[in-house]
Amino acid sequence: MRRTRALWFWVFVGPFALGLALFTYVPLLWSVALGFFDAHNTVTPTHFVGLGNYAAVLRDDAFVGSLETFVVFTAFIVPATYVFSLSLALMVNRVRRARAFFRSVFFLPAACSYVVAALIWKMSIFNGVRSGLANTVLGWFGGEPVAWLAGTDPPWYWLVVVTVRLWLQAGFYMILFLAGLQRIDPVLYEAAAVDGARPGWTVLRHITLPQLRATSVAVVLLLVVNAFQAFDEFYNLLSDARGYPPYARPPLVYLYYTALGQGQNLGLGSAGAVILALVVAVVTVAQARWLGLGRREGDG
Amino acid sequence: MGDGPVRVGRALRLVLLIALALLFLIPFWLLVRNGLAADRDITSAEWSLLPRQVRWSNVREVFGDSSVPFARSLLNSALIAVATTLGTLLLASLAGYGLARIPYRHANKVFYGILGTLLVPAAVTFVPSFVLVSSLGWVSTLRGLIVPTLFSAFACFVFRQYFLGFPRELEDAAQIDGLGYWRTYWLVVVPNARPVFAAVGTIVFLGAWNSFLWPLVIGQDQSAWTVQVVLSSYTTAQVVRLHELFVAAAVSILPLLLVFLCFQRWIVAGVERSGID
Amino acid sequence: MGSVSRRGLLAAGAGLLAACGSNTGRGGGSSGSGLVQWYHQYGEAGTEQAVRRYAAAFTKARVSVQWRPGNYDQQTAAALLTDSGPDVFEVDGPTLDQIQGGQVLDLSALVEGVKGDFNPAVLGPKTYRGRVYGIPQVIDTQMLYYRKSLLREAGVEPPVSLDALLDAARALTRGTVKGLFLGNDGGAGVLGGTPLYAAGLRLVTEDGGVGFDEPAAARTLGKLHRLYADKSLLLGAPSDWADPSAFLQGLTAMQWSGLWALPRVREELGDDFGVLPFPGDGVGGRPSVPVGAYGAAVSARSRHKEVAKEYVKWLWVERTDLQQDFALDYGFHIPARVSLARRARRLRTGPAADAVRFATEHGHAQPLLWTPAAQTAYQDALSRIIQGGASPEREVRGVVRKVSEELARVTRKR
Repeated sequence: MRRTRALWFWVFVGPFALGLALFTYVPLLWSVALGFFDAHNTVTPTHFVGLGNYAAVLRDDAFVGSLETFVVFTAFIVPATYVFSLSLALMVNRVRRARAFFRSVFFLPAACSYVVAALIWKMSIFNGVRSGLANTVLGWFGGEPVAWLAGTDPPWYWLVVVTVRLWLQAGFYMILFLAGLQRIDPVLYEAAAVDGARPGWTVLRHITLPQLRATSVAVVLLLVVNAFQAFDEFYNLLSDARGYPPYARPPLVYLYYTALGQGQNLGLGSAGAVILALVVAVVTVAQARWLGLGRREGDG
Repeated sequence: MGDGPVRVGRALRLVLLIALALLFLIPFWLLVRNGLAADRDITSAEWSLLPRQVRWSNVREVFGDSSVPFARSLLNSALIAVATTLGTLLLASLAGYGLARIPYRHANKVFYGILGTLLVPAAVTFVPSFVLVSSLGWVSTLRGLIVPTLFSAFACFVFRQYFLGFPRELEDAAQIDGLGYWRTYWLVVVPNARPVFAAVGTIVFLGAWNSFLWPLVIGQDQSAWTVQVVLSSYTTAQVVRLHELFVAAAVSILPLLLVFLCFQRWIVAGVERSGID
Repeated sequence: MGSVSRRGLLAAGAGLLAACGSNTGRGGGSSGSGLVQWYHQYGEAGTEQAVRRYAAAFTKARVSVQWRPGNYDQQTAAALLTDSGPDVFEVDGPTLDQIQGGQVLDLSALVEGVKGDFNPAVLGPKTYRGRVYGIPQVIDTQMLYYRKSLLREAGVEPPVSLDALLDAARALTRGTVKGLFLGNDGGAGVLGGTPLYAAGLRLVTEDGGVGFDEPAAARTLGKLHRLYADKSLLLGAPSDWADPSAFLQGLTAMQWSGLWALPRVREELGDDFGVLPFPGDGVGGRPSVPVGAYGAAVSARSRHKEVAKEYVKWLWVERTDLQQDFALDYGFHIPARVSLARRARRLRTGPAADAVRFATEHGHAQPLLWTPAAQTAYQDALSRIIQGGASPEREVRGVVRKVSEELARVTRKR
């Protein structure tokens, strides 16, 4: 019986596991191995350098700077997306008319690619001349045009990067929250009303948020992992044919230029990637422990 | 406590929602505006709500340009996205079901082995993956564009969580009727799990349709270009072909919007009942 | 369902099946009988058709041309690691690591006897230890376009020193018109080493050392920040420096752009424009323009090395008629062959002639030893100086250190 079960397990899981092993684990281990070699323009290097690449990448202030960029970006985007998508969900959930319409409108951008969104943001909303939408609005209030993406003081580029991600992603997380809100037992709200709790902040704090705990944990976790993987909007907004500015350069953009472009320093890139993956793993696991992932609503 | 404040609050909320909805629609509007304008209008110094002259000919132009296989690329993208979606759904749902429901000593180890790959950014393994696939001789083939992307740990994870919460009674009944795992899965589980298939399917479809780097490097031959590769081809080394770029981008997201609007209800239902949280 | 739509569906289905069945008509890379040649995507109409025509005219092998959009360097770099890459490809290089890694073949024999006819400025960076690894196709250069009428109105002379350029840019910034456009990032990307050469320095010395470890470097680069701080620079234009749109639409009075933009500028502005090199700065300074050439290279992984070399020799050494056609009939480039450049009528008058003169007299090409890693370090520093207002002295010191390490790495090898 146990035999047959094991057999069935592999009938179901085997094809997937095999493919994952071939197309993810093989390249992954290969990549890890490259990190110990001097691998310029080759994937079959011969010159072993031990931990040399690790030392070099940690000494490179551009890499360390990219980790800092990630921290800043996460500090912006995680709370912003969380608050914004939760607010959208709360409002859409309470609205009586045209709920499906609002839900669709906020969810629709999720169908857009970062490439297309970045194009609109860069060329038509946040360009540096008067025709840009943002500068037009500024102009109505008598403001001078701002070069949103081209300066570091003040770092307006964060506004561009954060808004494009908000537009693309808020709807998706709103859907997650809406699903969570649907699951809350209406009896709880009725009981609160009987106890004299005014609708609004009190109810939100004492009933809605605690009931959304599991959803919140999942959303925050997804947001942090996605922030680590941020590449597309940065690359499409800020790069040009000649490279990438030294600011707003998250880890994946750094790795892209080190290993995938003409740089082709695959050893150094792999070492950086391994460090990055370790950081992600540690943060995710710590966060999951701390937030108590896996406990479902009501268990907590 | 009167009714007044509540009604005011409700009206305020509606106004805010409408304002936000308009804000969310602006980028779509700009995409269409630019797509139907002349290059001069797109880069003009003054803001305009409408193009000075609406040029529907732009649409004809991108489809008629013989040097850019736009129509073919839409077909390629559709083919790849559909195949990737079906393949991913099949492989990941089977694996998710096995992990959730078939008792096996090492099931947890296998699960964490799958989950762990979620932490590794795809860019990290890009070059070795490319070398691997090309050593299989799959460059410029549909196999090369589709097969390596079929093994989504994310999809597998969502399916497993969903099946963990799936009512056991149905399966128990099936077992009593003498159906094995295989037939239980196909006859009982799949028909009752449509929302999660729709939800995961939509996400995978979006990802496949929008993916760029892999199709660019694997699909070397022009006949294998996807629509995202074509979009990038409007930005040449010297100039950006602006109106073509925008109109092609607008056309390229149309299928997605349709898929989205059709499946939205399913997605919400799928999320609601799945273990995404 | 009407019969029409059903028929439509059937046709679509058949198309899908056909697409599934065949792969896309070609086995991986060079495994077939013919050669595969890669070009990056040129923006000028007609170029693609022209290169396909050249390929078809080669009789000794079937050559299929691939026209690559997107980040070309990245694609060639990845493809060269595999057997499915091109046999012949054009490359903004080859890079030193590609040569040292044995990824490209020695093509010295191909230019035997005619080496002197290739412009030495662009052949030099394709030569490593006396061997040639890429045949220059055409020369591209960049320069400063200025609007004569706007300068006249503002009472400004065409600037001949960097200080004069700063003053002119400030004087020309009026209302919605900015004085100067050096790209949306303020110049760090496109200028590269040009300001250093204008200060009388260089990126790498003859003997492989850092060529800008001098006080003049910080002084000149610091002036670029002044342009930014004065708000004389156009930033965030809808199109970048490579496209003359910002200049043509009157967003800026002067713009740094490529030679390729010249036909369009002339068509729209007639005589109301002139061109200048990047002006010199300081006592040892002299005007400067960058020159560069895509080179034709042969992959070491090609399965048809000899035919590939023959093809490159036929196209880029022997067929001067095709080379001239490629350089002058679509885009606007300077032929890489000195003899052709001299004969080209379109390059003999007006701003085009000026541009050719700048390229000949003031042109500097990026040296082979200047690796992508060195370039990244330098460009980061330049960007921090221009946009971030960082101390030029400190930034230059940092770059000098990084570049020396990188030079030590590449000169140690072999």
